[in-house]
Amino acid sequence: MPPVIDKEKCICCGQCVEACQCDVFFGSKKDEIPNAIYPDECWHCNACVEACPAEGAIKLRIPLPLMILYKERK
Amino acid sequence: MYLLNSFSMSQIGFKKREIETDVLCIGGGIAGLMAAIRASECGSKVLVVEKADTLYSGSGGLGNDHFMCYIPEVHGSDIEPMIDEFQRGQQGGLRDRSFIMTWLEYSYEMVKLWDSWGIPMKYKGQYEFAGHALPGHLLMNLHYAGANQKKILTEQALKRKVKILNRVMCFDLLYDMGKVCGAIGINTREDETLIIRSKSVVLGTGSVMRLYPASTPAWMFNTRLSPTCVGDGRAMAYRAGAELVSIEIPLIRCGPKYFARAGKATWAGVLRDPSGRPVGPFVTKPDNKYGDPVVDIYQDMFVDYKKSGRGPVYMDCDGLSDEELDYMLHWLRNEGNVSLLRYLEEEGIDIRKNPIEFWTYEHELFPRGGIYYNERAETSIDGLYAAGDEFFGGISGAAVFGWIAGENASAYAKKHDVNESNGPEIQSKENESLLLELRNRRVGPDWKEANIALQQIMCDYAGLVRSETLLEAGLRALLKVKEKAKKRMMARNSHELMRCLEVLNMIEIGELVFTTARERKETRGKHIRVDYPFTNPLLEKLLVVTKTEKGPMLEWRIARK
Repeated sequence: MPPVIDKEKCICCGQCVEACQCDVFFGSKKDEIPNAIYPDECWHCNACVEACPAEGAIKLRIPLPLMILYKERK
Repeated sequence: MYLLNSFSMSQIGFKKREIETDVLCIGGGIAGLMAAIRASECGSKVLVVEKADTLYSGSGGLGNDHFMCYIPEVHGSDIEPMIDEFQRGQQGGLRDRSFIMTWLEYSYEMVKLWDSWGIPMKYKGQYEFAGHALPGHLLMNLHYAGANQKKILTEQALKRKVKILNRVMCFDLLYDMGKVCGAIGINTREDETLIIRSKSVVLGTGSVMRLYPASTPAWMFNTRLSPTCVGDGRAMAYRAGAELVSIEIPLIRCGPKYFARAGKATWAGVLRDPSGRPVGPFVTKPDNKYGDPVVDIYQDMFVDYKKSGRGPVYMDCDGLSDEELDYMLHWLRNEGNVSLLRYLEEEGIDIRKNPIEFWTYEHELFPRGGIYYNERAETSIDGLYAAGDEFFGGISGAAVFGWIAGENASAYAKKHDVNESNGPEIQSKENESLLLELRNRRVGPDWKEANIALQQIMCDYAGLVRSETLLEAGLRALLKVKEKAKKRMMARNSHELMRCLEVLNMIEIGELVFTTARERKETRGKHIRVDYPFTNPLLEKLLVVTKTEKGPMLEWRIARK
């Protein structure tokens, strides 16, 4: 579920927790790996990814119902 | 780890905090921060209260790329043609000429100010106008690189000693003797209430998402604008006695399917049917200056194509040069569409090779109007100011009227004292009992159940098909949801408490949509009354709703031209 945190790379700084306008990480504690307990309140705005200082530690997974529909040109 | 099923068996209580300030800005988006900056410059003590964090909050949290403005050196010294063009556009008829004049006159000042603060308002050294216009018509929207706008505005506010309280939701205004004198809020991270006494208040809480279902009804937070903007300001203002206007006329927008996001005017491609024919008469090849304006003119296009067997419709960017594509992507990134672009990249979707399906976000209606505010950003009650999307203002409306609101709220604060009476205390006690009930119930619907119940009633009874019998039945159903929500809804923590309060605010607005939609016995825009199928020129008026002891009071008012 969005967002996804790489526990190996996360430095537990809490920047993503503060950046999230929907507060999907509510209840996450300082100096611990954040936990997205309200993933379906994610707007997929990317603020958590932008705020993260550790390269690749957090990414958004766009849920299936939001898939972009497109076609191949004939 | 925080566990959602863990309950404290003991009674939950709230810590209490009392704060005094001169000017209180509710909502730390563009409007609220601009108001705070200006009020502080004018010498007032200013507090911004924000549900999230001002660095990334609101619909402009990750950026925007269009700023409506009038620049004499670009548009010529005569401002009148632009006012005429504005009147022809989406807001035509809702705003009088002097209001638009003020907006446009201030707009260039705001552009220069933002540029001086480090928000790039020029592209390659020039003012670049594009989007939201018909070919050959005046271009009113300045392309600007707003990706970092919230960080910069926050920095400017802090530099001027503005105090910012993040993760606090104000949900009710304090009022006494017809004047607004502060607000009541909750901490969204712990059980704490705040009583904020102020000399004046500026509302800047944005638009109203989540009143109607999302375009993907099963995925509620997939909204075009921020799903945290739910009309808190409108509901608070109404309860305090302020006039709301034109909330019966809904708006609807379009964009990529199924990832709901604003920014259609930045897409440069041509909208084509499955055989490749352009659906509109305006463009036949991609155009970064105008995009394809067909949907601004022909809002039913996507639905008509579907119903007539000619759909779906695609945004086709075939023919953009590398340079033109880079240009478009640059602005889409600044519009805050970074996650959408990254998704396309990861899925191997090539914008030029793969036409992307666009559609109308057909369930996601939102009220066109909101809190009535004039060119001084004054609402109809003393001490209360509003700006931005409290009444469909966009970025430029948020910047200009935020600024004006800050200036006038500061001037008002200098002439008035903080209210020391006990009226607000009684009001805060009543609110506290609501909070305690919500937090101490152990069984009952959570906010999401109530929000879904509200959305389905709004969609089915006050959606794109409206009639007296439907509206009457819908209002009856809504009042039942309201009663059940108040008596049974529960919040397991302070985050869910915030969501519960949002839903109660949305229910308040929903009720007013029903009440005003019944009164407007005609079809106008997307207010489609199947029992009154034509637009009646005699009703080309504003419908104003105000709270009275007997319930909502309606008044027809002629819009000043």
